Amino acid sequence: MDDLVIGMAGSGGDGIVSAGESLIAAAAYEGYHAMMTKSFGSQVRGGESSCRVRLSTRRVHNPGSTLDVAVALNWEDFLRFGAELPVSGSTVVIYESRTGVAPDKIPLVGVAPKEVFAVPISDIAKQAAGTEKAKNTVVLGLIAGWFGIAREAILRGLRKKFIKKGEELVASNERAFTMGEQWAREHPLQTPRMMDKAASHAGKKMLIDGNDMCAAAAIFSGCQFFGGYPITPSTEIMQFFTREVWKYGGAVLQAEDEIAGVGAALGASIAGKKAMTATSGPGLSLKTEIMGLASIAELPLVIVDVQRGGPSTGLPTKPEQADLFAAAFSAHGDVLRPVLAPTSVADTFDITVEAFNLAEKYQTPVLILSDQEVAQRKETVDPIDTARFTVIDRKLPTEAELKDYHRFKLTEDHVSPISHPGMKGGNYQGAGIEHNESGNPTASGKMHATMNDKRFKKLKPLQRRRDLHRIEGNPSAPLALVAWGSVAGVAKEAFDRAVAEGLDVKLFVPLLVWPIAEEIYRDFFASVKGGIVAELSHQGQLYRMLRMYVDVPAGVTSFCRSGANPIQPLEVVAKLREASMALQTPPQIPSEE
Amino acid sequence: MKEPTVLPTYQAKDFKSELKPIWCPGCGDFGVLQAIYRALAAVGRAPHEIAFVSGIGCSSRIPGYTTAYGFNSVHGRALPIAQGIKLANPDLLVLVAGGDGDGFSIGGGHVPHAIRRNIDLTYIVMDNQIYGLTKGQLSPTSPKGLHTVTSDLGSLEEPVNPLLYTLAYGAGFVAQGTPADMAGLADIIEEAIRYPGFSLVNVQSPCVTFGEDDNQVKAHRAAMKPLSSIGHDPTNRIAAMDLAQQYGKALHTGVFFKNPSPPPTYDALVRERQRSLAEKAVPRERLLDMFVQK
Ligand SMILES: Cc1ncc(C[n+]2csc(CCOP(=O)(O)OP(=O)(O)O)c2C)c(N)n1
Ligand code: SF4
Repeated sequence: MDDLVIGMAGSGGDGIVSAGESLIAAAAYEGYHAMMTKSFGSQVRGGESSCRVRLSTRRVHNPGSTLDVAVALNWEDFLRFGAELPVSGSTVVIYESRTGVAPDKIPLVGVAPKEVFAVPISDIAKQAAGTEKAKNTVVLGLIAGWFGIAREAILRGLRKKFIKKGEELVASNERAFTMGEQWAREHPLQTPRMMDKAASHAGKKMLIDGNDMCAAAAIFSGCQFFGGYPITPSTEIMQFFTREVWKYGGAVLQAEDEIAGVGAALGASIAGKKAMTATSGPGLSLKTEIMGLASIAELPLVIVDVQRGGPSTGLPTKPEQADLFAAAFSAHGDVLRPVLAPTSVADTFDITVEAFNLAEKYQTPVLILSDQEVAQRKETVDPIDTARFTVIDRKLPTEAELKDYHRFKLTEDHVSPISHPGMKGGNYQGAGIEHNESGNPTASGKMHATMNDKRFKKLKPLQRRRDLHRIEGNPSAPLALVAWGSVAGVAKEAFDRAVAEGLDVKLFVPLLVWPIAEEIYRDFFASVKGGIVAELSHQGQLYRMLRMYVDVPAGVTSFCRSGANPIQPLEVVAKLREASMALQTPPQIPSEE
Repeated sequence: MKEPTVLPTYQAKDFKSELKPIWCPGCGDFGVLQAIYRALAAVGRAPHEIAFVSGIGCSSRIPGYTTAYGFNSVHGRALPIAQGIKLANPDLLVLVAGGDGDGFSIGGGHVPHAIRRNIDLTYIVMDNQIYGLTKGQLSPTSPKGLHTVTSDLGSLEEPVNPLLYTLAYGAGFVAQGTPADMAGLADIIEEAIRYPGFSLVNVQSPCVTFGEDDNQVKAHRAAMKPLSSIGHDPTNRIAAMDLAQQYGKALHTGVFFKNPSPPPTYDALVRERQRSLAEKAVPRERLLDMFVQK
């Protein structure tokens, strides 16, 4: 077996998420490709919690759909996660026998898994470690026993985790693990499913989530200031900064609100430093006015919006892709603000570096539109070759230019060298008010038109950046699959499956989601007759934006649904099949008169 | 210890920009601008080392009339932007200015936080008890009962007391001035700039167009009571708060409170932290190593 999806649920104190963490850390150490998502009830502490871990010997692009293994420490908690932990007939179901539920009476509606094990998890824990707290370690033992995953690495991880609390705790957890393993061995699966060994990358892979990746990439890009206000699911970005950025001569300001957070970041940019802020939907709404200020004052600034379910407080801990309109359009006046969307933890690095580069190069705010899934899932990532990145810094005025400095000088590429306080001769008046080339206020319609033109034209080259659009498959395919953000990982798997089953399809994943790169889409759609744009929002926001700017072939439709209802690869394949069927013209059968 | 004498390398005119103010003739803000020129000359920092941030309002136009790096931002957000500038480059002299609406209404939520953070900057509020730019609406410092275009029948609200409020939040330097005493105002602003930490100068800066007749420069000249003349001890916060309660009734000018032993500023603490952690920095391109499962 080369791919395994494990879903586990329990109540807060059961340590199920911590078992998931141990498992994925061990898998990463062994060199597996792995991904982990967590999900919690709405209580801050306690309540139900779950995680899903996908391990594979190949690169994986999403957290997987139907579970291969389901672990329920109690059924109420497991069932609360519904569609997030889907069980099928071939799922191996493991549950706590203390629940008193008979294996043929498990409360799953409409499925009858063939392999169901009621395991005395708590009893084993108590016997092995003297405390039921070791339940999650027993679960690890069961999984290692049945599926042959990362035995040594799990034991190593347990030692690392518990050694601070003494040898005795290490030993009792080792016993709990071994007894779990033993139980599995004594109750073999009808169809053994041992995981293949991982290619040896042992001790090389990173295990990291999208928010940490974003923050690390920002500091790599030379970001020295973070201003923000805590909001799920973006806060880990600020938390990373508070641990690290001082070392690089930078600072963090946990502001009194999102407006102050982005304001302080803008201030740092005025002072010549690379700066960022991060938030989620409600905070994005608050930051809008200052983002407009950054646009007219032509100041580099990176804003991260980690999307969650909305509007308003919405579903704070669940993914959705419904902030695209806000990211692109929420501004008064004529504003063009580039929006980049990462599709995975790994490419969050590339996207973040790109965002800083665009911000600096074009002196503009740039939005990174991440989502809860990409931001908070943990993923194994191969070492990143940072040498392949160029870090761009803003164009400063030369000595000669400082002798007669005009902050908003009209230039060939529409970008004017930018000074900052402390630079002699570079003094200028920055403002939210329209200005002339020197920065002085104006109410002239002519100057306003000129400056709008400048601010739009400088971003033109961006729309021709093919490298910011991932295109795969037969270039003349009649079927198209378009997806962005975290759904792109689902689409990638669906695309591979569709191609394997013979569908003539090509895949389009925009990393630059705004402005719409009209020419690139036009070229892509040239051969297309049907297909889908898959996204996690009620309206299908990308689809609608494409219809505004591009001649989308009539057979291309929107496949969308509200957030927190994950789109599965098999559904996407089915939709593509449907689209393909719709293209088949029925053969002309000559009628006999 | 006597401070070493600094030679006056800058004169007031070095801080005057080519832009001609578009305030109404007789607006109090002209006097505030003159006082700022003088104070900056006395402090002696080069114009390019000064960042001057404002919000939106008649008064917020003031940075543009100086040769400093000016930033006329959006309504109510000058303080956060200024704090970002100072943290990014603590070597700069950072000034913030705006109106009473800008500072105590739309931007009111930022004031306590700027104060408690104690980032070294000077905040000059041109308090005219009215919205000037938008033509005469009620302001948060307008006296109760005031008739304005948005309070035809008289305001029903108590005003904010900027002095009491900033003192209560723990500001280390709180002063009030009026352009009726320009030399005095220049001295106050200079002292505020020299104070290491957040400093507030509330200037009673009359609006000739929409303000009340008894709230004009001439009336101020008659009414003003320098705090020095009544023997106020500016190191006494409680006494300062007592006097601050007279806001809106009496026009006290001078320094209400100046912390005699200023605590370290936030920007200084940031610098200290940066220094002490610098050696712990791994090269930026190796930052991800911490995530490798070794
Ligand atoms: C977000 C926002 N709301 C409202 C305005 C309109 N506005 C501009 S200045 C101002 C108030 C001006 O009063 P004040 O801050 O006291 O300054 P003054 O003009 O009296 O100097 C208002 C309401 C604005 N520019 N932005
Ligand atoms: S309206 Fe009032 S505050 Fe504004 S410029 Fe005129 S006098 Fe000054």
